[in-house]
Amino acid sequence: MNADVTIAAEAARKRKLRRQRRMRVGRHAILLAWAGVIVFPIFWMISTSFKDAGEWVAWPPHWLPHEPTLLNYAQIFAFGALDPTLSRQATEQAFTIWKGLGDAALVCTTASLLALLLGTFLAYAISRFSVGGKYFRHTILMIRMIPPIVVAISILIYYAIIIPYATTALLGVRISMFDTYVGLVLIYTVTTLPFVIWMMLTFIDEVPYTLEHAARLMGAGRIEVIRRIVLPLVASGMVVTFLFVFILNWAEFLLALTLTHPEVTTLTVLLNKFQSAAEGRLYGPQAAIGTIVTIPVVVMGLLIQKHLVKGFSFGTLRK
Amino acid sequence: MTETSTSLPIPTRNADRRRRGFAQWLASERVFRVIPFLLVEGLFVLTILVPFALTIWISLLKWRANRPFETARFAGFENYEAVLSNDQFWLALGRTFYFAGVAVALELIIGFVLAMLVSRCARSRQFYTTIFLVPMMIVPIVVGYNFSMIYIDSGPLNQILAPFMEAFNIDPRIRWLSHPIAAQWAIIIADIWQWTSLTFLIFLSGFAALPRQLVNAARVMGASPWQTFWRIELPLLKPAIVIAVIIRSMEALKLFDPVVLLTFGGPGTSTQTVAYFLWEQVWVFNKFSFGAAASIVLLIVFSMLIFFAIYMLISQRRPVEGSAP
Repeated sequence: MNADVTIAAEAARKRKLRRQRRMRVGRHAILLAWAGVIVFPIFWMISTSFKDAGEWVAWPPHWLPHEPTLLNYAQIFAFGALDPTLSRQATEQAFTIWKGLGDAALVCTTASLLALLLGTFLAYAISRFSVGGKYFRHTILMIRMIPPIVVAISILIYYAIIIPYATTALLGVRISMFDTYVGLVLIYTVTTLPFVIWMMLTFIDEVPYTLEHAARLMGAGRIEVIRRIVLPLVASGMVVTFLFVFILNWAEFLLALTLTHPEVTTLTVLLNKFQSAAEGRLYGPQAAIGTIVTIPVVVMGLLIQKHLVKGFSFGTLRK
Repeated sequence: MTETSTSLPIPTRNADRRRRGFAQWLASERVFRVIPFLLVEGLFVLTILVPFALTIWISLLKWRANRPFETARFAGFENYEAVLSNDQFWLALGRTFYFAGVAVALELIIGFVLAMLVSRCARSRQFYTTIFLVPMMIVPIVVGYNFSMIYIDSGPLNQILAPFMEAFNIDPRIRWLSHPIAAQWAIIIADIWQWTSLTFLIFLSGFAALPRQLVNAARVMGASPWQTFWRIELPLLKPAIVIAVIIRSMEALKLFDPVVLLTFGGPGTSTQTVAYFLWEQVWVFNKFSFGAAASIVLLIVFSMLIFFAIYMLISQRRPVEGSAP
């Protein structure tokens, strides 16, 4: 082989390698910069949750609390009135989050389970028998696309005015769905059903029909087939769907704000109440609540991270 | 419904046989087709359709919630006239589209670039994906809080920006939430921070699903990376782009949480989105029939968008269905 050609090829290879390395450095620089943008607000929240009142709005801002304190957490986890040693001038009351935590857990779990149950069966029916026509799976998404404020106004009129009037006239008892667990669970179930149906459809579509067919031929009943073949195969999908819907409900704000007032208080509504606190914004307790609310959802989200793609691909991104 | 009831087995005196008959009936295909469908459709009718019908009725009355319901009188299309001639409503609607347009465009660009860069990584892909997906899982209210802490006049954001601002002789204490234009951008930035993760996720799955043989074949035939990108990868990613646009713009048009958390629609009305405007009219000013009429108008505006979105989704899906066995 000619020496000149070898040298030229070697040089070209080196140039290529150098360019690749430069591109790799540039790529990581951009990605790390965005990672910094992502982490910064979260870091700030966690840092603030350990700051005492004087450090919340200091200039220049304290990136790490100079005197770390657990006071904010003591305030939000307090059961009754605060210990006098813990109370401060501006923030004397305890901001108990137990009620909000309990209500949110109750409403979100019930609504998610209900939606999962109904949605899975309908998804099975759609997948196997194309119930509701060819485009039913698309049209069902419409419900999700209606702006929630429109739903909130009509549901408010329905729950708070029409149902009480109707029940007073017909039964003689005034029953209001406004500010009740049943009312909130019902509306959460309906608004998350489209997502359950969509996600379960992608999972059920993947169960080969030949498998079911074989079981049917061997004499298994339809219920047996579902219990022994379909459900075990989509069980992990159901867990993913449940967690996803739970996160959606957990984060829901508008409907909870508008359809409940004093009685049922989910966490998001509770958080919003701090906004109008007479003493001004209480950044410390807010940050502590934010941290507490965020942790379970992020953990759940990271658990189902791999499957989230399916839920959002809406059936068009298949390999 | 009548169809299912006729398929019931003839009652016999034998309880055992009857039970078996019931189990058989329950297992029949007809029941499987009908029962879940009826249950879900019934729920939708009960909680979506009936309230909408009532909303239309309320929108034709003249009534405020601070007076008893019996005093309401029929008003015809008075409320609709009030809505259509209300400048604030149209301004809020326009502002919503402006926010959604700017935010979604930036989210798509950033998400696309990030997904492209991450998909070229080998070892660090898992690390970046995990970090980039975190904002999507954080409750929007908490995101609003985080940003309200960051945006305060003596907050960390102004501290970071201070050296750049001083270089241009601008007062480094930007009042993010009390200047009309800065407040609009404050909300857009919060939205971008949270939802770029979703577009990133969609594009990343799109890149992962690209058929490698095609890209490799193009490279072997001597296509430059630039050509491969424009001629092969981008057309193949079209479904992902359509989905990202549809999902994000439908969500962005609902913008409400950050407005309540960050600015309360202010200063003035410069950050009032249409959702916030309606919320204020109904829950603060008790103008129920006005709100009902406005929500019907809004629904009509949105239903066109929704039909367009569904049409796009179906037309994107069709080739996949055709190729499936």
